[in-house]
Amino acid sequence: MSAYSLEARRAKPNGWWGMAVFVATEATLFGTIFGTYFYLEFRAPHWPPRGIEPPAVAVPLILAGVLVATTLPMWTAARAAIAGRAAAARRAIALALVVQAGYFAMQMQLFQDDLAKFTPSSGAYGSIYYVLLGAHHAHVGVGLLLDVWLLAKLARGLTRYRVTAVRAATFYWTFVNVLALLVVGAQLSPNV
Amino acid sequence: MRTSRLELLQWVGLLGAALVWTAQLVIGYGVADSRCTLAGQRWGLDLRTWEITLMVVAAALVLIAEGAAVAVFRATRDRDHNDPPPAGRHRFFSSAAVVGNVLFLVIVLLSGLGAVAHTACRQA
Amino acid sequence: MAVDVEIGAAGLERVGRLERIWREPSGLVGWLTTTDHKRIGLLYLFTTLAFFLAGGVEALLIRTQLAGPSEHVVGPGTFDELFTTHGVTMIFLFVIPITTGAFGNYLLPLMIGARDMAFPRLNALSYWLFLGSGCFIYAGLFTGHGPNAGWFDYVPLALKQYDPGHAVDFYALGLIFNGMSSTAAALNFIVTLFKLRAPGMSLNRMPLFCFAMLAVSLALIFALPPLTLDLVFLELQRNVGFHFFDPAHGGDPLLWQHLFWIFGHPEVYIIVLPAFGIATSIIPTFAKRKMIAFPLVALAELLVAFIGFGVWAHHMFATGLPLTTLIFFSAASMMVVIPSTIQVFAWTFTVTMGRPEFRAPLLFIGGFIAFFVIGGLSGIMFAAIPFDQQTTDTYFVVAHFHFIIFGAAVFPILGGLYYWFPKVTGRMYRERLAQASFWLTFLGTSLTFFPMHIVGLLGMPRRVYTYSGSLGWDAYNLAETIGAFILAAGLLVIAFNLVVSALRGEPSGRDPFHGGTLEWATSSPPPPYNFPVVPTVSSAYPNWDVHDRLEDARRLELGELVLEHGHETPAATVRDGTLDEILEMPSESPWPLAVGISVLLTFVMLLTAHYVTAGFCLALIALSLMGWHAKEPGE
Repeated sequence: MSAYSLEARRAKPNGWWGMAVFVATEATLFGTIFGTYFYLEFRAPHWPPRGIEPPAVAVPLILAGVLVATTLPMWTAARAAIAGRAAAARRAIALALVVQAGYFAMQMQLFQDDLAKFTPSSGAYGSIYYVLLGAHHAHVGVGLLLDVWLLAKLARGLTRYRVTAVRAATFYWTFVNVLALLVVGAQLSPNV
Repeated sequence: MRTSRLELLQWVGLLGAALVWTAQLVIGYGVADSRCTLAGQRWGLDLRTWEITLMVVAAALVLIAEGAAVAVFRATRDRDHNDPPPAGRHRFFSSAAVVGNVLFLVIVLLSGLGAVAHTACRQA
Repeated sequence: MAVDVEIGAAGLERVGRLERIWREPSGLVGWLTTTDHKRIGLLYLFTTLAFFLAGGVEALLIRTQLAGPSEHVVGPGTFDELFTTHGVTMIFLFVIPITTGAFGNYLLPLMIGARDMAFPRLNALSYWLFLGSGCFIYAGLFTGHGPNAGWFDYVPLALKQYDPGHAVDFYALGLIFNGMSSTAAALNFIVTLFKLRAPGMSLNRMPLFCFAMLAVSLALIFALPPLTLDLVFLELQRNVGFHFFDPAHGGDPLLWQHLFWIFGHPEVYIIVLPAFGIATSIIPTFAKRKMIAFPLVALAELLVAFIGFGVWAHHMFATGLPLTTLIFFSAASMMVVIPSTIQVFAWTFTVTMGRPEFRAPLLFIGGFIAFFVIGGLSGIMFAAIPFDQQTTDTYFVVAHFHFIIFGAAVFPILGGLYYWFPKVTGRMYRERLAQASFWLTFLGTSLTFFPMHIVGLLGMPRRVYTYSGSLGWDAYNLAETIGAFILAAGLLVIAFNLVVSALRGEPSGRDPFHGGTLEWATSSPPPPYNFPVVPTVSSAYPNWDVHDRLEDARRLELGELVLEHGHETPAATVRDGTLDEILEMPSESPWPLAVGISVLLTFVMLLTAHYVTAGFCLALIALSLMGWHAKEPGE
């Protein structure tokens, strides 16, 4: 059996489908978080409550844009992996990882800054705000671990298994990045 | 009819009504919830306009899906659902979708009419 | 093969090689590292039956306490734990794992002509997570912290100020844990059904049992996240000071109910759909004809699951919500019964238009149809808001859901246990004893649950630990308790029949009932590699296609798609089942057990508020996952 030639295969690999179904559960989870956010907002006389400022718009939007941009190197990595170019795939993932890690570090800082201004125990707004952002950051964190593991695997070259792994990881990041736009949309919606 | 066109119509006929009803439920419930909660009224949505428009649009789209299902059903009238794909699969999905879409149409109409038939926001 | 063909020398040599490649070690290590879907199915079967026994004991204690007015068999606190744990056990630890984990796991690859599930190690992991979650919840019960706020655990009762101690934490963390098992299983089923069907089995030729499993798996994927989130919110509010459910801080107790029932209603279809799948397997076999309106029945499975996501607030008709918002759910609830009705007509016509042979499995399906019709009728009555507001939280509801869960989910399970018993053990059960066990169980079920309709309409509320003798409920309750013990006796007869037959039954042969699906085309019990050659498929009842089964024998001799040179199974395209590639499958592995243990440790640390240690356990999970993926199949 050749290492990774895919000319014979027409359907998406099992690993890709597995990631697709996993993404479906996570998308449902986030859909439920968004639903809860707006449900609680509809019942609040003031949102955010008096004493809490609505979040600033510029920095979260820019950061979300930066994260979405990392979709490009991930897609590049997937295409390179399918074409059998291990080094190109590794470079693309490494680039994505650096930017994503920078994004994550900045978000951790902003998260801490927010906590100094209001906490989850201040009320429903704080509670759902931190669940929304925390869940998203957790998914980014898992993505970072995936990137590192992929780089370790690809250091020894490409196999059919590893090509599927890169495709699955790209699917995951595409989902997380699209989600970033929705999360920041909900986060900033009080400004509308 | 060309196979690729049948393929597209098959999926529209099978999945269209389900997606349309989902949209009507989510949007219709959201509009009703905003109208009937204190803070949601900030959004200022008129219940009757939204619910009736939603029902009419949803019903129209379900009818289109039903049309697609019927078209595939008629195009495969000399086939059996056990036949090799794609024709057998087209027959299979369309014969089920023809019935399913009627069900969704009734739900869409009942929901829309129910939402406007009662005094708005009266406690159940 | 549907016709027993003599295997030639070349074929025998290939089969020998398959045997050597696929056989797993016996003994404890073999079972702890198994990735064979049949072994995992059996692990699920025995574990779920143990939980069925536990839930049954809880039920008998409940019925004993309620046998007469003002009894003192158990006190109110214990009673709360009993009905909560009974509900949680029967739903999460018995009926869902037995239909998906036991029946689904064992039968699915066989029915689609595959050698294993798409992700064999994930399959093993789903079992270990299930076992861990069950032990976790019962650890709560046995340490005096049994879940006690009802199986749907409403707030504010479940909040810290009204339910201090760990009971609710065992419930919440235990169900998150359990949900991970079901999600893993559902993911595996979906990818298996999409990709691993034998070449020729296009979507329109997939057996009805598989359509039911597809519907269940899709429903699990979309229903579990709202429950998980709800439970996370509850734990965050109870233990970390978040505010989701208390109005004083901007929360809403109805948020709990919405999220719970967005999960909870699809859950009840998840309970009943596999039972439909079992029924649609048994009926054609014993009616000796194909299912009438096959495409409609297949779609009805998926429709019920889908529409079931849009009816959740019918569990909240008495909460004071505005009619304008509730009416959507009333409309959908009235219509969700239609696909089930289509199925009932299809089943009944198939039997009456066939040449039915009323052996034990078909008797249980007959009982199932009777109970399902009655339970379905009482169910649709609740779609009318005024009626619901009178009967919610009374025994009328208890009657309805027990007719559905016991009558419509457990009866097919019992029928299925008899039906596939010869396939799994290679022996026949005792037919006359089985038929007697049906009548005893049918009588017990009817006597236990039918009077609940009446006593509910007379005003008896749910979840009361006792009642006054002056209300006129005594005779009904006594009848129900007597019925419960008759039902228990019936179940014991079934268990006796199966155990004795497993030890001493007559050899059954490959296909004692002339079933139409592929599991009957291979030996009883199936070999580790399921089929000597990947089956030829050209209809939804492949075992009745004699020509195709003769073709299998020919291909075995020639070595076409025997795949005896590796641990392999074919993958096909999703829609049309065209052969796409040959997959190298993993074999025995310790990693699923390692991940399962790490997850259990994480939940124990979360329960005992050792959050830093819980973080280390998360790292353990990550390390185990890396070990899992260290060696690639084929290396």
